[in-house]
Amino acid sequence: MPGKVMSLMRRGAISCGEETSIREVAQILAVNSSRYCVVTNKAHEVLGIVSARSLLKAFGQDLDNTPVKQILLRHTYTIGPNSPLSEAIQLMNRRKIEHVIVTSDRPGSIAVLGVLHVEDILSAMLKEEGSNKDANM
Amino acid sequence: MRICDLMDREVITCNPEDSLKHVLTMMKRNRFRSVVVQDETGEVWGLVSRLAVVRFYGEELEQIKAEQAMRPYKFDVDPQMPIEKAIEIMKRTRIEHLIIVDPHAGPKRPIGVLASFNIAWYMSKIERGTYEQILKMPRE
Repeated sequence: MPGKVMSLMRRGAISCGEETSIREVAQILAVNSSRYCVVTNKAHEVLGIVSARSLLKAFGQDLDNTPVKQILLRHTYTIGPNSPLSEAIQLMNRRKIEHVIVTSDRPGSIAVLGVLHVEDILSAMLKEEGSNKDANM
Repeated sequence: MRICDLMDREVITCNPEDSLKHVLTMMKRNRFRSVVVQDETGEVWGLVSRLAVVRFYGEELEQIKAEQAMRPYKFDVDPQMPIEKAIEIMKRTRIEHLIIVDPHAGPKRPIGVLASFNIAWYMSKIERGTYEQILKMPRE
C-alpha cells in the first residue's frame, strides 16, 4: 500500500469562488458528477470545501442569493502531500468526510495542490488485496 | 417532490456474511456506490458506505464480514415521503445515504437509496424563484 498522500491524490480540484451562489455550486456538482467543490477566495487561497451533504443545509433557502461561503466546511481539514495515508484516513473517519484537500507543506501556505478522494484509497486497497493474493499463489 | 422521484432505484446488495473484499469489488464495479446488506429473506440489515470500508485500511479484507462494517438500518423511510422529510433526517443524523424500503412488503425490502448527491442534483434543477415554495418540516 502506498504510504503517502501524494501517491494517491488527484492533482488540481474542482473549485469555485466564495461568492458563488448555492445554485451554481449544485450545478457544478451535478455537471461534474462530483461530491465536492473546493472554495477559494479572490487570491485563490483555499477557504474550505463544500460537499453534497453540506448543500443540504441550504435546502429551502434562496439558492440564487445565498453565497457558498455561508455553508462551507472551513479549511481546517487539510493535509500535506507528504503526510502518511493513515493520517488522511483518520481525518476522513473522524470528520466523516470523503475528500481531503491537499495543501502545500510550506509553512503559511494554503495553496491547493489537489484532493485526496476516498475512492482512490478504496481502489488502492483493492489493488493491494489483489497483489497479496498473487504473492500467496 | 417525493423520495421515490429522486432515489437511486438500482440497489447494490450483499449478504451479511460476504467479505469486505467482495463488497469493495462490487462497489468498484458500480462507481463506488454504497452497498446495502440484506439477509437471505431479502430483509435489510444495514449499509456499507465508502468511509466504512476505508476504516479497515491495512487489514485483511477477506477476513472481515460485511456485517462488521455496516451501519445498521434504523430509520423506516417510505418512498412516498416528501424530500424535505428525508433532508431533515439526513441533517439530524448526519447520514449521507438513506435506505428506502418497500412499505408493502412484509420484510423490510430495500427498493432504493437516496444520497445527498441526489438532492444536490435536484437543487441544481429547481426553477429560479420557486425556493420559497419548499416547506421546512418541523422537527419531530
